[in-house]
Amino acid sequence: MRRKAIIAALLLGSAFSLSGCDKIKQAVSGKSEIKVVETEFPERVFWGDTHLHTANSVDAFGFGNRLGPEEALRFARGEEVTSSTGQKAKLARPLDFLVIADHAEGLGATKALYDAPRLLITDPTLRRWYDLMHQGPKGSLQATGEMLQARSQNKLPAGLNDPAKALERTRKIWNDHLDTVDRYNEPGKFTAFFGFEYTLMQGGNNLHRNVIFRDNKDRVAKIMPLDPTNELWPDKLWDYMDGYEKSTGGKVLAIPHNANLSNGLMFMMTDPSGGPMTAAQARRRAAHEPVVEITQIKGDSEAHPFLSPNDEFAGYGTAGWDLNNLLNSQPTKPGDLAGSYVREALKRGLILEQTIGVNPYKFGVIGSTDSHNSLSTADDNNFWGKHPGVEPSPTRSTDGFVPGINSGRMNWQSLASGYAAVWARANTRTAIFDAIQRREVYGTTGPRMTVRFFGGWDFKGDDLRGDWVHAGYRRGVPMGSDLSGHKGAGAPSFIVSALKDPVGANLDRVQIVKGWVDKGGKSHEKVFDVVWSDMAKRKPAGGKVPAVGDTVDLTRATYANSIGAPSLASVWTDPEFDPAMRAFYYVRVLEIPTPNWVSYDAVKYHLTLTPDIPRKQQERAYTSAIWYTPS
Amino acid sequence: MTLRSRAASLLREPLVHFMIAGALVFALLSGRAPDAGERRIVVNAEVVSRLLNRFTESFHRQPTPQEMDGLISDYVHEQVYYREALRLGLDKDDEIVVRRMRNKMIAIATNDAEAATPSDADLQKLLDKDPGRYAREPKVTFAQLYLGADSPAARAAARDALVALRQGGDATRYAQAAPINPRYEAADADSIGATFGDAFALALRKLPRGGWTGPVTSGLGLHLVRVDAVIAARPPTVDEARQQLANDWHEANVRKAEEEAYRKIVEGYDVVIEQPK
Repeated sequence: MRRKAIIAALLLGSAFSLSGCDKIKQAVSGKSEIKVVETEFPERVFWGDTHLHTANSVDAFGFGNRLGPEEALRFARGEEVTSSTGQKAKLARPLDFLVIADHAEGLGATKALYDAPRLLITDPTLRRWYDLMHQGPKGSLQATGEMLQARSQNKLPAGLNDPAKALERTRKIWNDHLDTVDRYNEPGKFTAFFGFEYTLMQGGNNLHRNVIFRDNKDRVAKIMPLDPTNELWPDKLWDYMDGYEKSTGGKVLAIPHNANLSNGLMFMMTDPSGGPMTAAQARRRAAHEPVVEITQIKGDSEAHPFLSPNDEFAGYGTAGWDLNNLLNSQPTKPGDLAGSYVREALKRGLILEQTIGVNPYKFGVIGSTDSHNSLSTADDNNFWGKHPGVEPSPTRSTDGFVPGINSGRMNWQSLASGYAAVWARANTRTAIFDAIQRREVYGTTGPRMTVRFFGGWDFKGDDLRGDWVHAGYRRGVPMGSDLSGHKGAGAPSFIVSALKDPVGANLDRVQIVKGWVDKGGKSHEKVFDVVWSDMAKRKPAGGKVPAVGDTVDLTRATYANSIGAPSLASVWTDPEFDPAMRAFYYVRVLEIPTPNWVSYDAVKYHLTLTPDIPRKQQERAYTSAIWYTPS
Repeated sequence: MTLRSRAASLLREPLVHFMIAGALVFALLSGRAPDAGERRIVVNAEVVSRLLNRFTESFHRQPTPQEMDGLISDYVHEQVYYREALRLGLDKDDEIVVRRMRNKMIAIATNDAEAATPSDADLQKLLDKDPGRYAREPKVTFAQLYLGADSPAARAAARDALVALRQGGDATRYAQAAPINPRYEAADADSIGATFGDAFALALRKLPRGGWTGPVTSGLGLHLVRVDAVIAARPPTVDEARQQLANDWHEANVRKAEEEAYRKIVEGYDVVIEQPK
């Protein structure tokens, strides 16, 4: 009798579901209408991740991720959550904003396969993956590795992405997703954006983009994430973005990532067919893609030693990632590299502008994680890895990138990187989006360094006394802008000021990277050391500032701030300025050497590691550039 | 995706829900296997409107007549397979059916909680239970002068600068340029902590008001500080913390419902875990 009563009660309860749901939504969306005041100019930097995957991503679920958007949002806001491997995870410092960017392609498909009745799975490959996934975490990794392999060869079984079923599934997941994201969006305190990843690939060459909306649910609910299957170039995405803006009056932008795994296709000099790029094509790209993700777990895309042989700090997080494309299906040739790295792309942009009148690659930069375990972590001492298969464990530093699969990379090649820093006037969807749109952003490999960068024509050393931020905005332009109004023979001058992460390492040096194109259409680059710690003692020799030193103790995974400086600032005037030549300037800030995540693991798990595994690093911040164009 | 939310999404397959829940109740109440139902499949107005609603909810538009025909045909296929499968007993000992049933049970148990709306009294209770968690952070209005890394020279500069400031003079020549503001207006502990470190945010609240003091140590080095105002932490009203309270209440409520339902059901069972001999 008692049991009957319980069941009846349970069923009765469910009957009230719809009306209750609506009330919750009203209550919450009512809350997000609160007016947040925007400051006159950006007064503080906001930290976030524009690239996080949850269990709704086709590969993340296969990797074993069982945490959905709600857990991802709670974690980013500083709440403790239990990871998919059963470990308690918490960020030492919450983030200010988050974009959950689940793969539009096959959204929820792996989960659907996992939940499907085995009886009805007739395709032998799907059935094999189904069985593997049900064997447990190892089998699941194996299945996902094989799925990725199949995707790179365009051999995915049709059943996995049945268009009609996929559409309905996507609808459901997307609608639920919008509700959840809205419940955690708190203007003024924490911004939860709507977005998705457009996982465009050409046979394993990475052309992925993250798509981010400026708008609230009323607009975003009118569309669905766009599936890139069968596309080779981003044109359909840009059509989709135009369509969204036109039909809803909203705004949307796209952020390419992992240029380093594109085998030269991300930043091409030509149009897709190999013919010359037209001004219209260049304009279209620049209009849709104002920033690029420069660093993340799957390597760093700033610069490569092959392209920048005179830059001794090029090559951070490139080793291992520069041998093959994303899916390890095609080796990377030296000639591919120029189209795969950001600094070279900025230079190519200048050349193209000189030729066709438009710069397709006038973009700013941010960092993000691309984590697939719903946990946005980029701190080396609290790094949760790329996916659940490489969450903290004694073996993850010597496992493959996808354990048990030949992914062509070892997991120790993963970087605990990075975060997006945004100079916005408020912590709201609109203010942060607008700052990204105007490129007033920078990226770091994890540490939360504060960096200001202004360009102008009359900045002097004295400007650093007093209220130089106001002066920067009033008499110059911030990172991401065009420097115009050149008169006479004057050279541009720049205010740059960098501050350490308050709980992190001191700074080694601040550099300005200049790129320019000469009259013959050839591009050049030069890295200027602008200000560094202990300048009196560290005199440049042979054009190079001596190394800062090294306080890392690997036996304890510690470092000491007895070297370096907490803050470095300078006003720098380009000594080689030629007003006839197009140029860009961006800032790179280097920390003193610190232990990487592998070293923290080695101490925590008492590991003995072979010497080929790097154990230290100099983490860094990269700002968006300031461009000069001759009038 | 937790078991819970997976269960929730299953539950939004209304048709399947209806059938399985019905079968389940029938089975549990009568103590025998689910009946395959009569061998007559009727597509009546009720079914059609359910299909229509489901489509509209997904696609934000009405189906075309062709699409509606497709939906009905699909419904019939589904019913034929489903009933025939039940008739053949394919649900028995099927791992997937077992798991889906479990998820359904959880979904049924938590659906009420998933959709429930807390009353203000519920939220007030939650707020009273852990006021610290929801406290509006104290806000501090202060001016600061940054002297760089802690060193004897910086401490000497701090002494001289402090004298100058206390005499109402200008001390900017002692300041190290850094991308931080000379003045912060009603800044909360989180934003101060993000720039200076949490210890500094905490230290500020204990400083005397109105006059220059220091040096105070932060994660960046030394500062002279003048605290102009501190808006003390205070317990918020429900309205101020509604979003966080509602999210927490929702999360806890769903978890509690799941645990309670299990506890009640398991009471009716003998669970024997045999030790290996």
